[in-house]
Amino acid sequence: MRYFLIVLRVALGVVFLYAAYMKLREPWLMFAMSIDAYQILPEWAALTLGRILPWLELALGLLLATGFGLRYSAASASIMLAGFFAVMVRAYVMGMKIDCACFGLGDVIGPRTLVRDGVLLVLSVGLTILAMRNGRGFETSQV
Amino acid sequence: MRKIVAGLVMSLAVLGAWGAEMRSRGVSTAPILIDVYSDFQCPACKVLHENTLGQLAYDYADKGKVYLVHHEFPLPMHAHAMEAACYACAASRVGKYQQVSDVLFHSQEIWAANGKVDETVCSILTPGEAKKVRALVKDPAIAAEVQKDIQAGKTAQINQTPTMILTYRGKQYRIPGANYDILRRFIDQLLAN
Repeated sequence: MRYFLIVLRVALGVVFLYAAYMKLREPWLMFAMSIDAYQILPEWAALTLGRILPWLELALGLLLATGFGLRYSAASASIMLAGFFAVMVRAYVMGMKIDCACFGLGDVIGPRTLVRDGVLLVLSVGLTILAMRNGRGFETSQV
Repeated sequence: MRKIVAGLVMSLAVLGAWGAEMRSRGVSTAPILIDVYSDFQCPACKVLHENTLGQLAYDYADKGKVYLVHHEFPLPMHAHAMEAACYACAASRVGKYQQVSDVLFHSQEIWAANGKVDETVCSILTPGEAKKVRALVKDPAIAAEVQKDIQAGKTAQINQTPTMILTYRGKQYRIPGANYDILRRFIDQLLAN
């Protein structure tokens, strides 16, 4: 179980780091436009999120990969992924043909992206439950 | 024989480039090139056309800052999209591409339901222009022009409509939305550089 937890948190950490890298290599306004395409947030919020979200993902990725504050980072990752999944499902149900902007541009929301993000959400929730049971807080995780 | 084939290929290339030019706005020497791939029967393309492209053309293309090139990318799932694309291409030969695009997008729901593309297009043309356009639509060169655009889209890995590809100093950006204010900020940022 211990090794499973390590593999799980490192894998999720790498996914978050990759997602952050793919967004940060493009101009931030492109990502802001992707957020705006979901038609949920006002323009100022899309612009703000476009600037800060990739950095949040980077920070979460580092925390998950190192295991520091695992309970909090895993819970934050789960909340973030649940949010992403919800807005993607909404867009898909509404028939919006837009980029999911999960890992950069050019990835249209469809069954494949929904399954992928759904699996990530399940893994993240699983990691959160395991981390909570282990009772790890801000100390560097030994698991 | 080889010369004939080479000549034919050259003619098609020139025809294709000319066709694209007829469906463009601005000057080809503008610092920014934006290629727009769209489908007249796609609702999101209508939104892009009505909310973004007109303003973009007025603010940037007409001022020599952006070269806006339209490409037809009719999707097979839309029954009348190919016919509409052919009519728009034909209209470009009589200098009425913009007007025909406007009416096709404006009346999209109507002709998409009843299939009366010809009636929609010809409603904004003079009788003389309508006659020319109807003749041109039957010309295989028009269908070839649309096919050339589709092929260009496939080469550019277009997987949805509308898609805008912005090229600046050799770098390409795939524009993921239709928000004109954010796009304007991005273009201004590029031009300021």
